[in-house]
Amino acid sequence: MKLHSIKITLILLGSLAFLASCSDDDNNGPDIEPIAMATCSDGIMNGDETGVDCGGSCDACPTEPVSMDPDFSGSYAQVDHMGRPGINTVLSFDMDGEDSVKDAHNVTIPSEMAAVFQAGFEARLEQYHDVYANILGADPADVNYENNILGLDAPTLTGYLAADVLEVAPDNTTTYFLPGEDADMDGNVLNDPAVIGLTGRTPQDDVIDVSLILLFGGEDGIRFSGQDTDDDGMQDLPRLTSDGVGLTADISTTFPYLGSPE
Amino acid sequence: MKRTKQILAFAIPAIVGIILVAADHIDAPSSMGTTADIADFFAFEPEEGSNNTVFIVDLQSNVLPDLAYGTFDEDVLTEINIDTDGDLVEDLVIQAIPRDGRMYFFGPVAPMQSGLNSEVLIDSPLGDVEISTTTAITETTDSGVSLFAGPRQDPFFFDFFQFNAVIGGMAPNGFNSPDEAEDTFDGANTLSIAVEIPNALLGTPTGMNALGVPVYKTWVTSNQKQ
Repeated sequence: MKLHSIKITLILLGSLAFLASCSDDDNNGPDIEPIAMATCSDGIMNGDETGVDCGGSCDACPTEPVSMDPDFSGSYAQVDHMGRPGINTVLSFDMDGEDSVKDAHNVTIPSEMAAVFQAGFEARLEQYHDVYANILGADPADVNYENNILGLDAPTLTGYLAADVLEVAPDNTTTYFLPGEDADMDGNVLNDPAVIGLTGRTPQDDVIDVSLILLFGGEDGIRFSGQDTDDDGMQDLPRLTSDGVGLTADISTTFPYLGSPE
Repeated sequence: MKRTKQILAFAIPAIVGIILVAADHIDAPSSMGTTADIADFFAFEPEEGSNNTVFIVDLQSNVLPDLAYGTFDEDVLTEINIDTDGDLVEDLVIQAIPRDGRMYFFGPVAPMQSGLNSEVLIDSPLGDVEISTTTAITETTDSGVSLFAGPRQDPFFFDFFQFNAVIGGMAPNGFNSPDEAEDTFDGANTLSIAVEIPNALLGTPTGMNALGVPVYKTWVTSNQKQ
């Protein structure tokens, strides 16, 4: 107890002496910050503080600087949409030749897309077939979409595609689409257990070839695949079920899965 | 690649009304070539048996000259929409928006309203990550969500030049054989946003695909500040 009192007395004496000398030096020599006068609540960084009213002889400063949250205020309006690859690009179609329908597709909610866009998609699909009817010298009325490897007719397929979402299965291996055998010969591989797919999309999936097969492949998937029908060594039907290219970019097996920019 | 770009630049004006680049690259007049232009979208299981799902959104592209490319726009909010019950209405959204060199993520959480207008879900922060330049910088949150944003090689592949010839009626034989075909996107880069998320944070889907497999039905949107 006594020792403690002595200590306090010494500290008080020391402080008074320091104050006196400080006052004397005010206009002469270098400013020596009056440590004892600096308070830990004066709103400025002074004394031996390492931050405003913290550090040194005050309480420790917060270990993390106080962050100012970025401003995220405001409202945002949709300008672009994507589910499956290539849908809007390839199938959105305006009979007047305008691209406004593509903009409209980008700002339509998926639950309304089939009703709004199916008819235009079907017309576009038929128009693609007419291109090849003309090239093959056939009547466009005779070269039409045929039910595809999924057994889907044109209205069903285009209605399915118009509702532009990408399905991903959390508990299954991801395969965009890999048609199996039509084992029961009912013209619809969807009923056959060998079919896998519709469980998502990886960067490796050849989505263009799948799309081409579903649009131009007919029920066996190879309806227009560059066949030489009369065995004269010349191609007689156009190759429309594969664009002939595969993945060229670098990918990775670890997050974020895509290669560094070139 | 340079040669391809020159050919494309020459060819496009000649094919009136047909400027088509898939997957979603440059797909429509309003968003074409802007900082809000969605280039591509992937959703997959990262490896067999994984309990995570990966979403990758590609914005912008340098596959053609004169497109906006290289910087995430702070006025563009990217939204991954997830429908868990198969009605094609989003039940959960994951948002991403850049501020001062970092990409901030929010969700997954039910949006304030479904549909075409959004606000940043500031009450549901997921995490943030420095936007990478060349080497990928990633962050993993306490909840096990991995985050990335930055330029990457565009993995989309498509002989776009031949496609335009095909649909323009100028390719009687259709697409080229594999030894003649050329991937237009070889050498192109894009701005990627990647999220790998435990399925537990999304819940068990009740919606099904055409094969009867439970699936999330997902889509991505870009949204411009008003």
